Amino acid sequence: MYQLINTVLIGITSGAIYSLMAIALVLVWRSARVVNFAQAGQALLSTYIGYEFIQKFHSFWVALFLSMLVGAAVGAIIDSSFMRILFRRAGHGPIANVAPIIATLGLLGLIRALLGLVVGGKDVRINPPVSNVGYTVAGHTMAFSPLQLVIVISVLLLMLVLSLIFQRTNVGLALRASAYSPEIARLAGVRVDGMRTLGWALAGAAGAAAGLLQTPNGTGVLSPDSLEFSLLLVFGFIAAVIGGLESLVGAVVGGMVLGLVLAFVLTYVSGSVVFITAFGLLIAVLLVKPTGLVGKRGGRRA
Amino acid sequence: MRKFAGSYFGRLTFFILFGFVLFLASNRVDELRVYQGASVAMYVVAIASLILLTGYSGQVSLGHGALMAIGGYAAALSRNHWGAPFWLCFVVAIVATALAGSVLGTAAARLSGPYLAGSTLALAVGLPSIANQFHILGGEQGLLFDIGAPPAALGADFTEYKWLFWISAVAALIAMWWLQNILRSRFGRTWRAVRSNEVAAQLAGIHVGKSKTLAFTVSSGLAGLAGAMLAMTISTVSPSAFPLTLSFAVLTGAVLSGVTTLSGVMIGALILVATPDIADAISSRFASSENVTTNLPGLLVSALLILVVMLVPNGPVEQMRTLRNRKRAKALR
Repeated sequence: MYQLINTVLIGITSGAIYSLMAIALVLVWRSARVVNFAQAGQALLSTYIGYEFIQKFHSFWVALFLSMLVGAAVGAIIDSSFMRILFRRAGHGPIANVAPIIATLGLLGLIRALLGLVVGGKDVRINPPVSNVGYTVAGHTMAFSPLQLVIVISVLLLMLVLSLIFQRTNVGLALRASAYSPEIARLAGVRVDGMRTLGWALAGAAGAAAGLLQTPNGTGVLSPDSLEFSLLLVFGFIAAVIGGLESLVGAVVGGMVLGLVLAFVLTYVSGSVVFITAFGLLIAVLLVKPTGLVGKRGGRRA
Repeated sequence: MRKFAGSYFGRLTFFILFGFVLFLASNRVDELRVYQGASVAMYVVAIASLILLTGYSGQVSLGHGALMAIGGYAAALSRNHWGAPFWLCFVVAIVATALAGSVLGTAAARLSGPYLAGSTLALAVGLPSIANQFHILGGEQGLLFDIGAPPAALGADFTEYKWLFWISAVAALIAMWWLQNILRSRFGRTWRAVRSNEVAAQLAGIHVGKSKTLAFTVSSGLAGLAGAMLAMTISTVSPSAFPLTLSFAVLTGAVLSGVTTLSGVMIGALILVATPDIADAISSRFASSENVTTNLPGLLVSALLILVVMLVPNGPVEQMRTLRNRKRAKALR
C-alpha cells in the first residue's frame, strides 16, 4: 500500500519536471514550428548561472528568479540573432525541414562544449533549498519531501502564470494569433517576429526553472556533460508529444502521464526497461493518436 | 569521356581505381593513419546511410547510433555463437539491422520532421540500455568481437591494423558502389520524387509510405554495416561504444558532406576523424589545460556544423555546383 502511494508520489514529482521541459518545447514549437533540441543546453547554461547566483546571493529563490530571467534572455538572443538568419538562408529547398533540427542540435553541442571549456572538470553541487527528507506519515517515510512539494507548486504556479498571459492579456492574444497563422497576424498588425522571440524567451525561462529545480531533486551534481539534461530533453519531448505538442495543458498532462508510467515501471518492473517504455509510449501515442491526449481539431500540422 | 564517367562501367572502374589507390597508400603510411583510415571507411558508410535517408528520402534520424548498435551486436553474436567468418558477420549485421529498420521505418513513414527526429532521439537514448536487460548481450561490459589475425598468406609483416583497414575499405567501397547504383535506379528516383513533393509523387502513382519504409530499411542496413565495422575496429561492442554523441557525429558528418548529395561523403568522414587530431595540435601548441583538450573537438565540430547550416545549408559540393551553374549561365548570357 505504502509502496503504491510512494510510486504515485515519485511519478508526480518527476512528471512535474518533465512538464516544465515539455512546456518549454511547446512554447517554441507553437511560436516557431521548431522542436528546440538546444533546450537542454539552454537549461544547463541557465542552471550553471543559477549556481553562480546562489553562491553570490545565498538564496535559492533569488537565484531561481534571476536564472529564469537569464534563460529568457538566452532564448531571445538565440532566436533573434541565430534562428532568424537560419530561416532566411535555409528556409527553402530540400534542406528546409532538416535545417532547424540540425541547427538546434549544433547549438546544443556548442553550448555544452563552451560550458565544458569554462567550467568543465570539476562538478558543482546545488544543495536543496528546503529539506529533501520525506514527510513521515504514521511511522513511514513517504517519497515526498518539502522540496518535492515546492517543485510541484512551482510547476503549477508557472503553468497558471503562462495560462493567464496566454488567455487574458493582449500579448497573449498576439502570441496565439502569430502561432495560429503568422501571415494573417502580420496583416492584423501583430509583430510576428517579436512574438516568436517572446515565445523563445518564455521557453528559455521555463527550461531554466526545470534545470534548477531538477538538479537538487536528482543527484544534486551539475556537470557540462550531464546525462540528466539529455534525459530531461528526451522525456520533455515525449511528454510534449503525448500532450499534442500544441497546448500547455497538454504538456502538463503529458508530463504527469509519463512521470507516473515511468515511476510504476521503475518500481514494479525494472530500471533498465524505463527508456524502452518511454520510447514505446511515444511511438504508441504517435501512431494511435498523433494529435496527443488533449489535442483537438484536425491533424497535426507538421 | 564524360559519358563513360557517368555510365555503369565508368562508376565501377572509378571505384576499383580508387580502391587500388587506397591499397597503395596503405603500404606507405604509418600504423595510426591506417587505423584512422578504417575509421574513415566506417564513417563513410554511416554518413552515406544517413544521407540516403535525409537527403534522398527527406526523413531525419537522430538515432543512427542505435541502428549501428544493432548491427554491431548482431555481428558480435554471430561471431561468438556460430563462429561465423567475418564477412558473414557483416552480412548478418546488415540483414538484422535492415529487418529492425523495416519495423521502425513502418512507424517512421507516418511521422514527419520533428516528430521523427524526436522519436529517433528517444531510440538512441533508450536502445543501448537494453543490453543490461538481456544476459546474452553482456551488460555494461558488452561482447568481444574479434575477427582474428590476418591470413598468413598476406605475409608476416602484414599488421592487424592494415587487415582491419583493408576489410573496412573494401566493405565501404562495395557499399558506396551499390548505393550509387540504387540511387540511379527506379527506387532512387522514387525517393527523390517523394522528398521533393509528397502529393505530386502520390499523384504520379508512387506509394509514399512504402517508398519511405524502403528508404529507412536500406539506410538501416547500411547503418548496421557501419556498426559492425565500428565494432570490428574497436574489437568490442558495448552500450558505451554507441553513445548519443555517435548519432550526433554521424548527423554532423552528413551535414558537413552536404545532405543532398552523396558525392561529398568523404568530406564529412575525414573531418570527423581528423578533428580530434587538429584539436590536439591546437591545444598542445598553446599548452592549455585538460578542459580545453577534452572540449575542443566538440567545440570545433559544433561550430563547423552551425557555420555550414548557416552559410552553405546544402553542403559544400552542392554549393560549388550551384556556383558553377551560375557562372555558366552568366557566360551564356
